[in-house]
Amino acid sequence: MTLATREARWGVGGRMIVDGITLEAKPGRVLGLIGPNGSGKSSLLRLLCRLRNVASGVILLNGRDIAEVGRKELARRLAFVEQQATTEVQLSVCDVVRLGRTPHRAALASWSEADEHAVEQALERVGLGERHEQHWHTLSGGERQRVHIARALAQEPSELILDEPTNHLDIQHQLAILSLIRRLGVTCIVALHDLNLAAMFCDEIALLQGGRLLAAGSPDTVLTEETIQAVFGVAVSIRTGASGRRHIEYLMASGDGAAD
Amino acid sequence: MSHAVHGPNWPARLALGLLATVALTLSVALAVTIGEMKIPLDVALRALGNGLFGLDWPVGAIQQGVIFDYRLSRALMAGLCGGALALSGAILQALLRNPLAEPYILGISAGASTGAVAVLILGVGGAAVTVSAGAFVGSCIALAVVALLAAGAGGASDRVILAGVATSQLFNAATATIVTTLASAEQARGVMFWLLGNFGGVRWPDLWIATPVALIGFAICMLHAKALDAFAFGADAAASLGVAVTRVRVVLFIVTAVMTAIMVSIVGTVGFVGLIIPHAARFLVGSGHARLLPACLVGGAIFMILADIVSRTLIPQQILPIGVVTALFGAPAFAIILYRARRPAS
Repeated sequence: MTLATREARWGVGGRMIVDGITLEAKPGRVLGLIGPNGSGKSSLLRLLCRLRNVASGVILLNGRDIAEVGRKELARRLAFVEQQATTEVQLSVCDVVRLGRTPHRAALASWSEADEHAVEQALERVGLGERHEQHWHTLSGGERQRVHIARALAQEPSELILDEPTNHLDIQHQLAILSLIRRLGVTCIVALHDLNLAAMFCDEIALLQGGRLLAAGSPDTVLTEETIQAVFGVAVSIRTGASGRRHIEYLMASGDGAAD
Repeated sequence: MSHAVHGPNWPARLALGLLATVALTLSVALAVTIGEMKIPLDVALRALGNGLFGLDWPVGAIQQGVIFDYRLSRALMAGLCGGALALSGAILQALLRNPLAEPYILGISAGASTGAVAVLILGVGGAAVTVSAGAFVGSCIALAVVALLAAGAGGASDRVILAGVATSQLFNAATATIVTTLASAEQARGVMFWLLGNFGGVRWPDLWIATPVALIGFAICMLHAKALDAFAFGADAAASLGVAVTRVRVVLFIVTAVMTAIMVSIVGTVGFVGLIIPHAARFLVGSGHARLLPACLVGGAIFMILADIVSRTLIPQQILPIGVVTALFGAPAFAIILYRARRPAS
């Protein structure tokens, strides 16, 4: 058992953003969160790593309420990759990945062999082993995302939570990032925008709308023409692609094409 | 692989520490020997020996007084003040994620001076409240106003500076109102001179307050060095790395408010030190706070001691307010940082 939510609720100003979601991730698998803008994907991810506290309900990590887990202990277990986090501070690739060791170090502890090892390994795993000294500001969007994933891996987590890690990347880098995530072998919960990418890379998919969970399960069961039409308001035709995964084709509504 | 390992490199650390100590000692030595009254180095050293170790070397009473009670206390105070302000600047820049943040620009110094003036001239709180306590309350209120304004404006890190400008104006206006309407002409002159920063009135008892404040403040900041590093990508990123964001913010904001308040209550508002020293220090030692914070403490101290020498000697027979000297260096530095910050990060 890994991360699970039971009737999790959270909102701002009286409006429920996450409205009673019960969901469970499976160890070592990739769980994709999909849904239209404002469906509560990002908020749910923030509840999962306790960046926000649930208003009601509970988030369980190995059956334990995360509200009772210390922040540092949680960070050794659970790593979070934000959407497009950047900085004005002059940092090298290595400096950023080293931040991942923060929860493992006491306030005045010096840098240890174990820390160095974890950083090296993390950089190797994302394919940046030779780029230690490169400056953050000289990296492309895809490279920055890989550095963030390396930083998260340096935390040595058993769960990795990613908020739209492929946003604003070109297609080659989107595929590279997602195949990297698949290869990591840790439990991943990832919010995704692109339904085809979700179908390609996720073991399970949870479909959110208006803060509620509409469907959860394998891509084949969740991604149907009817649900996509109902939730996203677009007509689609779904067939099995060359990879054996679902392929979603968006159909132009009649009259739309003539207007342009 | 042969890339730099950033682990504890003791010989390099020791060398840096030694260099810092030597530079600091040299600037204090300069401050003690340079001045209107020409005093030879050997006399100065004897006076220091007498004062520090209770020796009884032959030194004229006036020379003894000038060296020990006037110049040394003044130089040490300048050092503590510069170090504490630079440290505050580094902390605020990290927590607010804005390269222009520092106590003066954010109006924390202005708040402290309003608090101090309220006690000095209005007699708020009667004899029970010291000028330092008034300054502390003022700086905390200013910090709270900045935080509220910035949060109300959307909380983005660039809003903090706008909120700081507004707060600074508000408290400067409050100070001006108190001084112009309620102070006697003589009080007003004294307050105006003090507001620009002045080490002239510093005596040993001031150091008994300033020294522990600066050193304990530094120790608390050092305990949070790793947490400050984790703020590089924002508060949520820090929290997901296991940093208790709210606690760290509250503790360090209070530390900066106390350090700023104590320095303002003793020497007045001195601007820009908190801005330029952290940036200069980053060039020298990088942006990791475990090295940046000590570099700021020492760099700020040296800068302020030298600035004080300039303020005493630039114009013969006259002392420039220290705030004028730091602003002469600081305003151009501010412009350069502003220009660099404008460059789009790509």
